[in-house]
Amino acid sequence: MTRPAPFSRRRFLGTATAGLALPALPRLARAQSSAALQLSWQHSVQFAGSYIAQDRGFWSEQDLEVTLLPGGPNAPVEPPVVSGTALIGISAADYTAAAVEQGAPFRILGVAMQKNPFVIASLPDNPVAQPADLMGKRIGMALANTPVLQALCTLNDVDIDRIEVVPTQYSAQPLLAGEVDCLLCWETDLPVAMAMQGIAAQTMLMADHGYALHSQTYIATLDSLANRRAELVALLRGELRGWEAYRQDTAAAAALTLQMYPDAGLDLPTQELQAERQVPLMFSESTDEHGFGWWSDAAVEDNIATLALLGRTVTPDLWDRSILEEVHGS
Amino acid sequence: MTTLALPAPGPRLRGLVLTLLALAGWELAARALTGAFVLAAPSQVLGWLAANPGLMARALRETLTNAAAGFVLGNLAALALAALALLWPRAQALVTGVALVVFCLPLVATGPILRVIFGPGAGPQIVLAALAVYYTTLIPLLVGLRAAPASWFDLVHSYGRGRWSALVHVRARAALPYLVAGLQIAAPAAFLGAIVGEFTGAERGMGVLTIRALRGLDVPMTWALATVATAVAMLAYVALGALARRLAPDAPPLLLSPPPAPARRQGLRAAALVCAATLALWWGAIAAFDLNPFFAKSPTDVAAALLTDADAGATRAKLGVALAETAAFLLPGYLAGLAAGAGLAMALVLAPQVAGPVMSAAIALRSVPIVTTAPLIVLALGRGAAGTVTLVAVMVFFPTLVACLHGLRQTPGQVMDVMDSFAATRLTRLLRVRIPAMLPAFFAAARMAVPAAVLAVTVVEWLATGRGLGSLMALSASLSDYDLLWSAVVLTTTLSALCHAAVARIEARVLRRYAPEQLT
Repeated sequence: MTRPAPFSRRRFLGTATAGLALPALPRLARAQSSAALQLSWQHSVQFAGSYIAQDRGFWSEQDLEVTLLPGGPNAPVEPPVVSGTALIGISAADYTAAAVEQGAPFRILGVAMQKNPFVIASLPDNPVAQPADLMGKRIGMALANTPVLQALCTLNDVDIDRIEVVPTQYSAQPLLAGEVDCLLCWETDLPVAMAMQGIAAQTMLMADHGYALHSQTYIATLDSLANRRAELVALLRGELRGWEAYRQDTAAAAALTLQMYPDAGLDLPTQELQAERQVPLMFSESTDEHGFGWWSDAAVEDNIATLALLGRTVTPDLWDRSILEEVHGS
Repeated sequence: MTTLALPAPGPRLRGLVLTLLALAGWELAARALTGAFVLAAPSQVLGWLAANPGLMARALRETLTNAAAGFVLGNLAALALAALALLWPRAQALVTGVALVVFCLPLVATGPILRVIFGPGAGPQIVLAALAVYYTTLIPLLVGLRAAPASWFDLVHSYGRGRWSALVHVRARAALPYLVAGLQIAAPAAFLGAIVGEFTGAERGMGVLTIRALRGLDVPMTWALATVATAVAMLAYVALGALARRLAPDAPPLLLSPPPAPARRQGLRAAALVCAATLALWWGAIAAFDLNPFFAKSPTDVAAALLTDADAGATRAKLGVALAETAAFLLPGYLAGLAAGAGLAMALVLAPQVAGPVMSAAIALRSVPIVTTAPLIVLALGRGAAGTVTLVAVMVFFPTLVACLHGLRQTPGQVMDVMDSFAATRLTRLLRVRIPAMLPAFFAAARMAVPAAVLAVTVVEWLATGRGLGSLMALSASLSDYDLLWSAVVLTTTLSALCHAAVARIEARVLRRYAPEQLT
């Protein structure tokens, strides 16, 4: 389903010349611009909307060539975006707020994860179903996430001193080995890994207990907003169409992920389960009404309140809806 | 009563039996720990490899190619630096000082910058592999280049030849065994460096798969990756060792040198030169690569963050707490690793028949990424000091062992002839001859081990314990607090340099007596 491109002399000449040699070489002489999207982690179904956009040509049909840059454990998103290596980066509201506090000229252009994916994961025979259940428990997490736990405790009147924090690697292993009673992790990774081992972990989504923080947010610099608007619009439009297609068929999205990245060590059942589990985090009544990536002013207020608990002061103009409005308006 | 005359088991048979025993022990341990998700049995590892040969082959090809490129580049750089230091002796303190500083730079800080400089592809993997090897080749090489009798240099001079001829005809030959020791230490380090380089954002490779396996609780995959990494490192080690045996002289010569001239007070001047060169390189790199000041902080930024900014006091306090936590693990881990490496090298001289299996285990310890072994060690020793100290000791232990083994082989042939004529025991030879001959190599190892220990402790803090300077650096990078990150980098590097200087002082006092040729 390719939209007809506007006629131009160059395109005519290009097609005509190509037509002499080869029957079909579309887009041969189009002036393509290119941009990179810096992902926040290694390739997986976490970014499958982008893979669909790439695979079905949602970007190339807008004359935009997009490179997807993988992340990793030692690959912060902010440096490539600040340096212009990547036009857009996938960050989260708390990391973006911290970077802005340090002088980075970032704006949030879209929100892929409406609900924050942080959960407290526990085992069914010793469950953490409510924040109050945390008291007296040992929680395994990176010490770097202490402000996150502190915010959850403040929001729910839980005494953090009654929780024993055990610094652990980001893995479900300490929970299964009985070293800790629960983990601070993402809904879509460690609990999925446990499910694949036949262990049905209990997860308490922190977003359901007042922890409002946009995640998997699209960020770009003020400079790009001023000078590369057309590319920003084209990139986000492709993302939007990719993620809407993702929602229609998460199993196909998982299969495409494995097909495009056979060297990432992924397996299909895990990717399918992860793909299903991130749908409720990414789509809400607000996105049903306004489209993928949208946010409300009320959501921004909630985010600012949560960020204040994390020690970050931000103003509503950190969120810039102009690109999204252009995407939806066209 | 008759006795059956069984032939004594040959070394091959003994090796086979020991390998089988080790595999059986591994299998049993893994089965006992099934519920803990920390160790896969050899049968599971084989099962995974059989089911995923293509995936593993592609990942191995990628990582091995990058490691090999980094190995070659890093060692060529070491050779060039050593030649520079030798042909222009006044530059030696400067060369080794700056080399140390660059080697100390933490991966948390350099990885993302390399990714910005190189963009997508294998650039950061290759550079980090090269950075992981050049220093451990340079230091033994500099020792080896001096390990020649003074009379040989007299001979070169009597022909009216200069430094260049001495380098080609005398020093290069003397340095060969030391160079091989450096290369053998470098092989697993290059592989590990390439793996860690993939953490900066790569499409494929063994590091990418390791992260995937650890998060996915895929224990067989985790240990299949560790097993393949170990096998590759062992093959490289053995191949380099075989090369060395073909090239090395039969019996090392007796090194007799005049006592050195009284030491000139040059320490402070050299330190000042190294500082100046480091600052110049720092500013130069930012300018040359046009690095954005948001994440590439200059020396003046760091000075401001530590001294004049409004929150300078708070920054210093944070760094002080982290430094104290790090130092508490660093010193015990360093000393334990050094003692274990030197002790085991001596034990192997006394009981050479177990050298094969012991070396295999040592290479395995070094070449398995710390992210794989950390959960196992934590399970065995807990999350307290014992686990961290052990991990640091493991990182220090391997280079020390290899360097000391090579050092012990440098015992002069003539002296061993004397020992033969007195029918001296192995122990006597060890104490009277071999240990003194080993001392230059031992101190080279002790100096190399300083930055290795600092790197190890910060990596363990980053990945496992969440305390100290390693954790502080990871946290400040994720929160974009690059002022704090670079302040921590400066502190970490200064700590390494000071420890290195302390070891060098002890070294100078000891070698003045046992190996004066090293002090020219």
